[in-house]
Amino acid sequence: MAAKLVRGAIVVAILGLVVTLAFAFRRDPHDIRTGTVGKPAPEVSLDRLDGSGRVALGDLKGKVVVLNFFASWCLPCTEENPALVHVYERYRASDDVVMIGVNYQETRDNGLAYVRRMGMSWVTLADDDGRAALAYGVFGPPETFFIGPDGVIAGRHIGWIDEATLIAGIEAIRPAAAR
Amino acid sequence: MRGRIVAGLALLVIAAALVLALRPHEATAAERVDRITSELRCPVCQGLSVKDSPSETARQMRDLVVQRVGEGKTDAQIEDEFRASYGEWVLLAPPLVSWNGVIWAVPILALVGGVLVALRRMRAAPSDLERPTPRQLAELRERVRAEEAADA
Repeated sequence: MAAKLVRGAIVVAILGLVVTLAFAFRRDPHDIRTGTVGKPAPEVSLDRLDGSGRVALGDLKGKVVVLNFFASWCLPCTEENPALVHVYERYRASDDVVMIGVNYQETRDNGLAYVRRMGMSWVTLADDDGRAALAYGVFGPPETFFIGPDGVIAGRHIGWIDEATLIAGIEAIRPAAAR
Repeated sequence: MRGRIVAGLALLVIAAALVLALRPHEATAAERVDRITSELRCPVCQGLSVKDSPSETARQMRDLVVQRVGEGKTDAQIEDEFRASYGEWVLLAPPLVSWNGVIWAVPILALVGGVLVALRRMRAAPSDLERPTPRQLAELRERVRAEEAADA
């Protein structure tokens, strides 16, 4: 009886381990659903990189916001930039989609030089003390957040992002009337 | 006599020092910052606490903890702020009363289970041996006697 119980427990433990590993390996590492997804976006207020004023993310409610954390020292940021440029051009004329870049852990001068060199025409902000990155739970650049018109973070993409993923992320939360 | 007095006084001084050192006292801001940052995981490191990590992210997290302590926030409120951003993962030791608390429970349960199984087996072992019947004993004795006689 005891031997049967032990054998049963071992089988259950192995099955549990296999199921856990199967689920863990199937998860998309670009879509780690940590703290902030599904919650209201932290309302941070940051200076523009070019020094032309301040932007409060809370003021953008009612619009789809694509918030991209980037840095000039981050190679994947450089690699994903053409996709960001294409998507920005695609939605440039629409007034319901806003793209914002947040410069991560570098000086404003370096960030601004990178922005100009890479042709980033969208709003770019300085996060000097890293508070915005900490509030959003950023692990490291690049990271992209999709914030819905209701101000809730609908999605998050960790690492290099492509054009199709960007468009899919925007369209998933864009009001049907605006499409 | 004098030696005893000196030894007694020395013991008294040591006891007083121990009581003084171990008395409950309110943690200073620096002690609180140390304690909180040692419980937070550095997001860009491999298993390092925010206190121990030299990374820029850890430095920014330490600065935020210092600010929050200065603002009068409790340890729990400060940890909750980081938990809201990074999830339970940001705590190096998962809280006991949570799904992650299973991490604490499983090894203890496994140990208790193992001890129980071992005890059961140790007790069950003697009963597995069948005692020989008087007839078998007699036969064995007869066999031994016969073999001894043959050897002689």
